[in-house]
Amino acid sequence: MDMENQRRVKEYAEKFGKEQVVCILGGAEAEASGLAAETVSNGDPAWAGPLAGVQLGLKAFHIFEDDIKNQVDPAVYEAQVSLMEMVLDVDAITKEVSTIRNQYANW
Amino acid sequence: MRIVHYINQFFGGIGGEDKADFRPEVREGVVGPGQALNQALAGTGEIVATVICGDSWFNENLEEAKATVLEKISKYSPDLVIAGPAFNAGRYGMACGAVAEVVSKQLGIPVVSGMYKENPGVEVYRKFAWIVETGNSAADMRKAVPAIVAMVKVFAAGQTPEPGTYIERGVRVNYMANERGSKRAVDMLVKKLTEQPFVTEFPMPEFDRVAPNQPIRDLSKAKIALVTSGGIVPKGNPDHIESSSASKYGKYSLEGVTDLTAETHETAHGGYDPTYANKDADRVLPVDVLRDLVKEGVIGSLHEYWYATVGNGTAVASAKAYAQKIAEDLHNYKVDAVILTST
Repeated sequence: MDMENQRRVKEYAEKFGKEQVVCILGGAEAEASGLAAETVSNGDPAWAGPLAGVQLGLKAFHIFEDDIKNQVDPAVYEAQVSLMEMVLDVDAITKEVSTIRNQYANW
Repeated sequence: MRIVHYINQFFGGIGGEDKADFRPEVREGVVGPGQALNQALAGTGEIVATVICGDSWFNENLEEAKATVLEKISKYSPDLVIAGPAFNAGRYGMACGAVAEVVSKQLGIPVVSGMYKENPGVEVYRKFAWIVETGNSAADMRKAVPAIVAMVKVFAAGQTPEPGTYIERGVRVNYMANERGSKRAVDMLVKKLTEQPFVTEFPMPEFDRVAPNQPIRDLSKAKIALVTSGGIVPKGNPDHIESSSASKYGKYSLEGVTDLTAETHETAHGGYDPTYANKDADRVLPVDVLRDLVKEGVIGSLHEYWYATVGNGTAVASAKAYAQKIAEDLHNYKVDAVILTST
């Protein structure tokens, strides 16, 4: 996750409270999505950005996960997401993100 | 154990490519990955300072960068320096390597780093650093940190890392052996023959094993192509193939060509005396002889193009990439066999 996004996530977590913040990811493959989920929960795994060594414990979901998908207006989802859902490896992505979330998220 | 950590602008939290001209600065204590290293080093050593420098600035001002970084590092009188890990970031790896060179030479202390095996810093600077092999991106940090820490702990215990735990440095160390070489070699051979474990004293470099193609059944019907790493190009070297570390290969027509002469062809190669190749390039790329063989009916035909690059100092990875493209082309032309000539 780039430094600017790490900085924003950290800022919002401090501003709104960690328990009030959930991250929605849109990564196109499993490893990148998992790394983003890890960054907002266990800290930046590359130890480079503002979240290096900062364990926010935030929950991260991928937009493909049913818990999130079901809360989105189906028309909007259809227009914005469904095309990518057809071409990407949804199972691998959701498995990776949920594994990381279950391991590190606190809230 | 007092440790100074060298990192680039990215891991220093300064910024990405836009901040790569960042000049060397020191921070007391740990920054970025140093936090993870320091946690894992607890009880063994401590990172007392971190030197941060932009990758572009370091590589574009190499001599000044080496001197400045050395001066900043030496102020803290460290027992060891950690540089990186740089993974597959080329300029970062080169900077870590250059830091290792100057620190090991001037301060006489070990430098531990982590790089992907194809990072150019490995090839150029491996003899100055103890480099742990890492994955090719920072996503591998969670494995790189324990590996680097394990190596630091070896030094802290006053020992030298075991071969195999770092990327081979190409440094030979003299020692007094109890038995002479011939005896040791025969002992190893006997162990090998009886399938007992043994440790070689001189590991061979790893070469690709290429499975040979099926033999040509009937040469008189075969289409033969010429491919050379000997640098034979049309006179004037129209593609400007470099005399060393070639960045490309050329594909040239043999239509109507029966003999290569000093007027029409030459070599671009800078790694051998070109006099005889320039006088008669058939000596490297035997077009004249192959034309004769076609006439005599020994081979079916000669492929209408030849392919040339310069093997001198050219990276294996580049050579492989050229070979893949050339082979594709040869397939498309339904070439049956290739004669590869070197120098």
